[in-house]
Amino acid sequence: MNHTLNDLLGTPLAADEAALLDVYSRLKDLAGQDLVPCAAANVRVALAAVAVAVTDLGLEYEHLTDLAC
Amino acid sequence: MSPSDSPFWNPKTETLPREQLRALQLAKLRRQTAWAAERSAFHQRAFKAAGFSPEQLNSWDDVNRIPFLTREDWMASQAASGPYGEIPVTGAEGAIRMHTTSGTSGRTPLRALDSRKDWSWSADMWCYALWGAGVRPHDVGYVAFGYGSFIGFWGLHNGLEKIGALTIPGGAQTTPVRVKQIVDFDVTVVASTPTYALRMAQEAEVLGIDLPASKVHTVILSGEPAGSIPETKALIEKAWGAKAYDTAGMTEVSTIFMFEPADQPGGCHIIEDHFIEQVVDPETGLEVPYGEQGERVCTSFGRGTIPLLRYRTADLVVKVPHTVSSSGRTWDLYAGGILGRVDDMKLVRGTNVYPRAVEGIVRTYPHVEEFQLRITREGIRDEIYLRIEPAAHLSDDEWAGMARRIGVDLADAHEGLRFIVERAGVAELPRFELKAKRLVDERPSLTIA
Repeated sequence: MNHTLNDLLGTPLAADEAALLDVYSRLKDLAGQDLVPCAAANVRVALAAVAVAVTDLGLEYEHLTDLAC
Repeated sequence: MSPSDSPFWNPKTETLPREQLRALQLAKLRRQTAWAAERSAFHQRAFKAAGFSPEQLNSWDDVNRIPFLTREDWMASQAASGPYGEIPVTGAEGAIRMHTTSGTSGRTPLRALDSRKDWSWSADMWCYALWGAGVRPHDVGYVAFGYGSFIGFWGLHNGLEKIGALTIPGGAQTTPVRVKQIVDFDVTVVASTPTYALRMAQEAEVLGIDLPASKVHTVILSGEPAGSIPETKALIEKAWGAKAYDTAGMTEVSTIFMFEPADQPGGCHIIEDHFIEQVVDPETGLEVPYGEQGERVCTSFGRGTIPLLRYRTADLVVKVPHTVSSSGRTWDLYAGGILGRVDDMKLVRGTNVYPRAVEGIVRTYPHVEEFQLRITREGIRDEIYLRIEPAAHLSDDEWAGMARRIGVDLADAHEGLRFIVERAGVAELPRFELKAKRLVDERPSLTIA
């Protein structure tokens, strides 16, 4: 997994939080790739939802307009 | 208790100690202002003019270094660089949604863009409110709303779906059809404006439908301050036999920023992990302490397309500490919800008249079906008329007694100001589905030559 081990307050991540952040990171990677339409659109839908979850939990906070999300 | 049984949508931040909450807000604010400085032409100019840069945000007091944003700024930018102005960081190509303000104030509506993530976030803010009010996946939600370009209850609709509740769009229906559907579809949660919740209850009576005997247990209110007027809320709860919860939002942030918790402490929690809400003196722009009324100033972390920083909302509020609620949340509240607008106070013969205060008195009379305030100037004298449409069965004698008592109550609450109370005919006064407009000021505007 390629991400920080703390949340935005510097608190170490719980196991489920680390897993969620990992999914988020993978979705971002996928959204940056040239995928077929059905995959590209649905990856972005999933990325938007997971981005909200990681923001809610204070794990990450960023905007994704460059990924059309 | 399993995490999924939590009474909170997001237990981590809803119960975060205040110091940590402030640190989280400041961390997000640094990123949001940096985003605005990098991508928004409007904010680049505004920051430069104010001598502000995101690196200056080292402590909580530094929040006040960020320049105010006003509706007039937004409208001017929209007019100069249409169709969306220069506040957004992207044009239409970066968004999946465009909504507008309601336009009920007679001004040009603002146009607001949302990206995919913005739109998903908008629904999520409603989830805080819905989950907090006890809405769960087994519920059946009915959205009594017209689904137009006004943002209204779009986010609530999506929030119900996100929770996993069965969601029924009640658009393009007459009021009788909506009431019948609510009963026929075993609806448990209804969303509407306070005015329209009362309108549906009146229609149910006409149709001979016993709403308190229906399965509806929760009414989610939004769109008007009346959701936090105790007298109006009591009428709604009685008419529906359900708990009613207030929320408030605005198109400028895409969603709601506050909601009433289940313990109904007389106010609404601010969703503080996604917003910084300040209360300022409308004249000086300086923050006022807890318990003092002022203008709401909103900073949102949610929308990426439109970084909303220190936005002067013109809403009047009183912030109180989280300890007034027993909900367990550490988020501050607005006591009494939205108390009015900076610009909706009317001066009549030297007395301040607030539409919300008048409604609070009128709604203590259960036989009032609808009402309207009209202010006129007759010669040099201002007059204020209260036109009331009473229940059709009210006799002339009963009406006369009620009108006299309402007149006395209003005068007592307004330094003796005489309200001329008149009876309106059946179905004579306008009905509203969104944002009731019950005040008509017919006095000529003051102009300076």
